[in-house]
Amino acid sequence: MMINPYRSTSKWLAVVPVLMMLVFVVAPVSNIFITSLNIESFAIIARQTTRNTVWFTTWQAIVSTILVLLFALPIAAITANFEFFGRRALISLISVPFILPTVVVGAAFLELLPSTIHRSALAIIIAHIYFNFGLVVRLVSTRWQQIHPHLDDVARTLGASRTRLFLTVTLPLLKKSLLSAGLLVFLMCFTSYGVVRILGGPARSTIETEIYFRAMQLGDVSGALILSILQLIVVAILISLIMQFSRAKSAEFAQTVYSRIRKPQNSAQTLIVTLVAVTSTLVVILPLISVVRRSILVGQQINFSIWRSIFTDAEIFKSLTTSLRYAVFTVVISTTIGLLGACATVYGSRRYKFVNLLTALPVVVSAVTLGLGLIITFDVDPIDWRGAWLMMPVAHCLVAVPIVMRIISPTIRDLPNGLRDASQTLGATTWQIWRTVDLRIIQPALVTAAAIACAVSLGEFGASSFLVRRNNETLPLTISRLLARPGEIIQARAYAIATLLIVACIAIVGLVDHLGTNKRGI
Amino acid sequence: MKKKVAPSNFNSKRSLKNLFLGVVLLATIASACAKNSTGSKSSTDQTDKSSQSSSSDQVTLTLLAYDSFTPSENIFDAFTLETGIKVEIALGGDAGELVTKAALTTGNPQGDVLWGVDNTLLSRAIDAKIFSAYKNKNSDELDETARGLAPNNEVSPVDTGDVCINYDVKWFADRKIAPPLTLRALTSASYANLLVTPSPISSSPGLAFMLATIAEFGESGWSEYWEQLKQNGLLVVDGWSEAYYTEFSGSSGKGQRPIVVSYGSSPPAEMIYASPKPETAPTAVAALTCYRQVEFAGVLRGTKHEREAQLLIDYLTGVTFQEDLPLTLFVYPANTKAKLPAEFLKYSMRPELPLQIDPKLIAENRTKWLDIFTDKVLR
Repeated sequence: MMINPYRSTSKWLAVVPVLMMLVFVVAPVSNIFITSLNIESFAIIARQTTRNTVWFTTWQAIVSTILVLLFALPIAAITANFEFFGRRALISLISVPFILPTVVVGAAFLELLPSTIHRSALAIIIAHIYFNFGLVVRLVSTRWQQIHPHLDDVARTLGASRTRLFLTVTLPLLKKSLLSAGLLVFLMCFTSYGVVRILGGPARSTIETEIYFRAMQLGDVSGALILSILQLIVVAILISLIMQFSRAKSAEFAQTVYSRIRKPQNSAQTLIVTLVAVTSTLVVILPLISVVRRSILVGQQINFSIWRSIFTDAEIFKSLTTSLRYAVFTVVISTTIGLLGACATVYGSRRYKFVNLLTALPVVVSAVTLGLGLIITFDVDPIDWRGAWLMMPVAHCLVAVPIVMRIISPTIRDLPNGLRDASQTLGATTWQIWRTVDLRIIQPALVTAAAIACAVSLGEFGASSFLVRRNNETLPLTISRLLARPGEIIQARAYAIATLLIVACIAIVGLVDHLGTNKRGI
Repeated sequence: MKKKVAPSNFNSKRSLKNLFLGVVLLATIASACAKNSTGSKSSTDQTDKSSQSSSSDQVTLTLLAYDSFTPSENIFDAFTLETGIKVEIALGGDAGELVTKAALTTGNPQGDVLWGVDNTLLSRAIDAKIFSAYKNKNSDELDETARGLAPNNEVSPVDTGDVCINYDVKWFADRKIAPPLTLRALTSASYANLLVTPSPISSSPGLAFMLATIAEFGESGWSEYWEQLKQNGLLVVDGWSEAYYTEFSGSSGKGQRPIVVSYGSSPPAEMIYASPKPETAPTAVAALTCYRQVEFAGVLRGTKHEREAQLLIDYLTGVTFQEDLPLTLFVYPANTKAKLPAEFLKYSMRPELPLQIDPKLIAENRTKWLDIFTDKVLR
């Protein structure tokens, strides 16, 4: 990074994100390690089961990540380059799988996939693709749209084929965002929990499921902590390997708010756009249809009685409002903190690289470890924070902030200083420079981040389920609670709420997209 | 051009401060909004806070329970009317999660009373000194065997239930095959590829079923039995709802397998929560395969409201509350004086001699048994 006008202020930017991570992640995790770790438990590392688990966790995460990227790239390409009917709707729609509770989609997948691949590594990988590709599309597409169309024209004029254009111009420019997205997906798949339990079956375990099983079902918290150290170490090694590959500085490019989006130019393009758009829509929708179907089928008969009662049901109404409230909280807080964090790491000197690592912690540290840390840390009088309503939206923010930061920072990072220098020469204050140069360029990324944060909050299950719930159950928690109870009507009700969640998600993500998109269609 | 930061430095600091103030303001507004809406939504929250700070007139007890704890909505009104104590339910995961969390916070618990430790977790909970002993006033009326599991009154039994082999009645009738009646029968070729069970590693009925086989075939024979089950095409899935509602053919999920490990009370649940109600129960239970689960409630050690918590234990074991259990939690009341609803009695099946294992033995061997299970059945 070149010398920039923000360096002197960047140390203040880091304060809030760093404080948040110290208070809500570092302190509780250190606390649980200090109070519960028992040296004897290290024996667990030597076990064959542990080694198998580490190996399986690693390879499935790598394979899943590569396939997610491959699957997402064509969709990112069409949404970044072409205007077509339903383009915006498609972008909102593909964010939906990311938020769906695994208990719901898990059942839908078991119904859709042929029974020969039920409870196999393949089923896990397919589900990982389904849950994560939308995230990659959004990240990469946002970035792609900022590549100045003139670059394509220049390359084409110089005689580059489309393939060559993609490989030598587009791909290097996308590299940072692909890497950033890939890393996020890798972390999600590496620490995957619900998908592995339902679709992998009891025979396959990741480190995360083993941690859960040891701590919660065997009561061996110390052994679970050892496993979570192991998880941290493996993640650290793999991330530094990935970083090694990506040392080379990615090309900088100036983006103003031009649009490279245009209508398909010829029939071949139309065909490709249609094909990709229809396929991706189908992929997203099929499991959703299965969810809706289960909500109206009671004992093989179509029955709308559940739907008639659902809107008058006080309990469901309460979950819905709780979910919406937390989503608003999460969008505001995590986008703000994520933006601050991203700015601190990009504008600040090398010293601020630690902010990047610190804010990745909530994704890397196992939810069980963090959850147990929280309950033994926040028990200070006079208020027992463990049961306070605030804990749940804070947990949502913890999950969302790392994602938000990684959506925003690649965009600011490659912003050339020329624009800032120019405005500074013209006498603009730092704040004016930031507002008129940086903010305008990161605006699309900010919108993406807000939409994803909203989705994260609506669908958050893992961290929330470890907190005690009094009157503040969110929709995913209600769904999983109902699914665990016997009775056809109760089951159908769970799926009806899941349908409600899907609709809420499409509506809200669509709304955020709509509000954040400027009139030029970027 | 290079480094002319100085002139704008002062301004920049001020404007960034403004930005900060803006952010802080925004955050405060957002949290205030959220706070307001929680406040106005549930008055219990407010009373809870005031009671915690003053602890003078009205006490609100927190009843920690597993997620599927769903008694009738106003069931604690009678208790509040009688004692002036309010009850707030706090859900905290499944029974295993509850015990782990309670063990970590022992002496400074997250609630006052805990509902839902079962006999497979009991020893672990007692060893971790989670509970403060209390002999409830209904003690004499409670199921004697269940009471015997906690002889020092650390906890009180609140309900019992059975985990049994359930089968799809129509499936067997259509094919004119006799349904399996014993655990041994499940290894026979006529039931090949028909059984699905939740895993004992991740599910409490799954664990109960594994314990049933240990009770039936002994420490030396049970793992061999499971190998035979595996050869016979056993399917092990993660949780109960997946086994029952995705794979089992007798439920609304319409899976492929007509035999499932579930609860003795699954048939009445299927009848009562069905629409329209079938004429005969679509599923039935093999009585000789049942394992008895007993659930307990206890006062959490370190509660600030010990006396009030004891009163709540009395209420939980009393007839009023106990009679609410069959149709809400689908379990049998532990209080023998509680009357069972006719609907429940008609379709549920109570085995006379359920299989059982001493909680101490379970606590000692749990990890070892599960490791054996993992090696023999899952890998």
